[in-house]
Amino acid sequence: MSVIVLESVTKRYESGAETVVALENVDFHADRGEMVSIIGPSGSGKSTMLNVIGLLDTPTGGTVRIDDRVVSDFSEAELTEERRSGIGFVFQDFHLLPMLTAVENVELPSMWDTSVDRRDRAVDLLHRVGLGDRLTHTPDELSGGQRQRVAIARALINEPDIVLADEPTGNLDRDTGATILDELTRFTTDEDVAVVSVTHDEQLVEYADRVVELIDGVVQE
Amino acid sequence: MKPSDLLTRFPSVLMAWRNLGRNRVRTALATLGIVIGVVAIASLGIAGAAIQQQATTDLGSLTNEVTVTSGQDSDVDGVTDDQVARIERLLTDARVVPQKTNTTTIESREGEAFVTVTGLTEASALYNASAGEAPDRLQSGALLSAGTARELGLELGDPVEYEGRLYRIRGLIEAEGGFGGGGNELVIPPSGLADQQHYDSVTIVAADGEAATAIVDRLEAEFNDGEEEELSVTSFASAQENIDSFLNTLNLALLGIGSISLVVASVAILNVMLMSTIERRGEIGVLRAVGIRRGEILRMILTEAAFIGVIGGAVGALVSLGVGLVLFDAVAGDALLVVRWSSARYLVFGFAFAVVASVLSGLYPAWKAATDRPVEALRG
Repeated sequence: MSVIVLESVTKRYESGAETVVALENVDFHADRGEMVSIIGPSGSGKSTMLNVIGLLDTPTGGTVRIDDRVVSDFSEAELTEERRSGIGFVFQDFHLLPMLTAVENVELPSMWDTSVDRRDRAVDLLHRVGLGDRLTHTPDELSGGQRQRVAIARALINEPDIVLADEPTGNLDRDTGATILDELTRFTTDEDVAVVSVTHDEQLVEYADRVVELIDGVVQE
Repeated sequence: MKPSDLLTRFPSVLMAWRNLGRNRVRTALATLGIVIGVVAIASLGIAGAAIQQQATTDLGSLTNEVTVTSGQDSDVDGVTDDQVARIERLLTDARVVPQKTNTTTIESREGEAFVTVTGLTEASALYNASAGEAPDRLQSGALLSAGTARELGLELGDPVEYEGRLYRIRGLIEAEGGFGGGGNELVIPPSGLADQQHYDSVTIVAADGEAATAIVDRLEAEFNDGEEEELSVTSFASAQENIDSFLNTLNLALLGIGSISLVVASVAILNVMLMSTIERRGEIGVLRAVGIRRGEILRMILTEAAFIGVIGGAVGALVSLGVGLVLFDAVAGDALLVVRWSSARYLVFGFAFAVVASVLSGLYPAWKAATDRPVEALRG
C-alpha cells in the first residue's frame, strides 16, 4: 500500500490579478522502500509538489492521503504533528542549526518531546552514516558531505514513513553526491521508508526506482 | 551528567541559551541596556527611600507629639486639672505630660540667660539628657539646656534659682532638632510653678505620627463638639503627612524617570529580538518543517528574551545594591540600611520590571516567528 497518495491535486497561487497554476490534477503515490525522483525544469512545480507531499503547503484542490488518512484538510497544528511523526526532510543547503552539535542536530525534531530519549538512536544513526567520530562537532567543523549526512540522520530520527529530499546533492561535488545517494538508497530499504526527491541532477535519477516528470504543473506519463 | 544533558529536559532553555551565544556582542549590548534601566530605576528608588528615611529620622521626635492648649472658647486661661484627667482617661495608650511654663532670667558668675521655665513631672517623655539624667518622675532638682549651661558655666550638681527656690541641676538636655525652639530651657518639678492654677499646655506623646493624628481626632471629638473650641489641639503629624506626600511624589517622579530608561531598553530588546528572528527566518522554517510546534518556537524565543531580562535584571540589581550601599552610607551614615524592605524592594521591583519588560518585548517577535508559514520561511 502506498504510504503517500496525491489525488487530482491542484495548487493555484493568486498573485495580483493573475492566477498561477503550480500543480494541475496531479496524481502521485510513493511506497515504503521505494525511491522516487521528481524531475522537471525550474518553474515546473516540483518544489510546490514536494511542499504538498511534505505537508508544508495545502493544495487548493484534490486530496492528500498519508497511510490512507486524508490529511489535506488538517489544521496547521495537526499537520505539524504529522510532519513530526511521519516525515523527514533533507534540504539542498543542509539547514543544520549552527549552534548545535551533530548529535543535537540529529535529535532536533524530537528535542521538545521530552518523554522519549532519542540520544541513542541519534548516535546510532550518526554511526551508520559514518560520522561516529564527529558526534560533538558543530556544523562549521564538518564538510558539506558530512553536513548532508547529519541532515539525513536528522530526517530519520523519528522513524518516519517518508523522507523528502529537495536537491540533496545540489551543493555537493559529484563523488560526495554519490556517497550521499548511496546512504539514502541504503536507508530506503533498511528503514523501509519512501524517499521522494526533487532534482534536476541526472546522477540522482540513476539511483531512483521510479522517475516522475513534471512540466508546467502537469505530470507527464 | 553534564549541564547540557540536564538542559535537554528543557529544550527551549537549551536552544535559547545557544542562540544568545551566537551573537555575543549583540546579546551583551541588549543586556547592558536592561542593566542600565534597572540601575536607573532601582538607584533612583533607593535614593528616594534614603531621603525619606532621613527626613523621617529628622522629624520623628516631633511628629508623634500632640500639643493641647486652651481653646478660643474656653472660660479659663489654661488647661484645667479636670481636663487633664479627662484626657488621661481618654488616652490610656499614650503618655500625657501636662506642663506649666513661665520665663525667667537665671544668673551665674559668668553672666545671665533668659530661659523658658517648664514645670512637669515626666521629663523622660520629652527630653533626652546629654549628661546626667532626664527622670521619669521629676520631683526635685532641675534640667537645663546644655547650651545655656555652657553659656553660664554651670555643671551638673550646680544650683539654679527660680522664684527664690534653688534647684540642683540633675541633667543637661539637648535641643531637639526640627521645629522645636530648643534653645534655653529650664525644667523643674511642677511644684515650682504651683502659683499658676492651670496648665499652659499638655504634650501627648504617641507611638508614631499616625497614632498622633488619631489622638488629635479623638480629642477634637471629645472637647470641641460643634463650634465651641474648648481646647486647641495641634500636632506636627499633619506636617509630616505633607512632607511624606511630597516625598512620595518625588519618589514617583524619580521612578518615572528611571522607568523611561527601562522602556528604552525593552524597545532595544524588541529590536534585537526582531532582527534576530528575521535573520533566523529560514532556520525557524526548518524547525517548523521538521515538526516543532508553534508554541515551542514561541517558548524558545520568549525564553531568549527572558534570559536577557533575568541576566540584565540580576546584574542591574547587584550594581544598584552597590549604589544603595554608598548612598545610605552618605545620607544616613549606615550603609546596611539599604537591606531594609523600604529600599531593598526597589531592587526586587527593578529586577521584576526588567524580566516583565523583556518578555513583553519578546512577545511580538516570538509570535511573528511562530506564526510564519514554514513554506514561506524556508524560502528565506
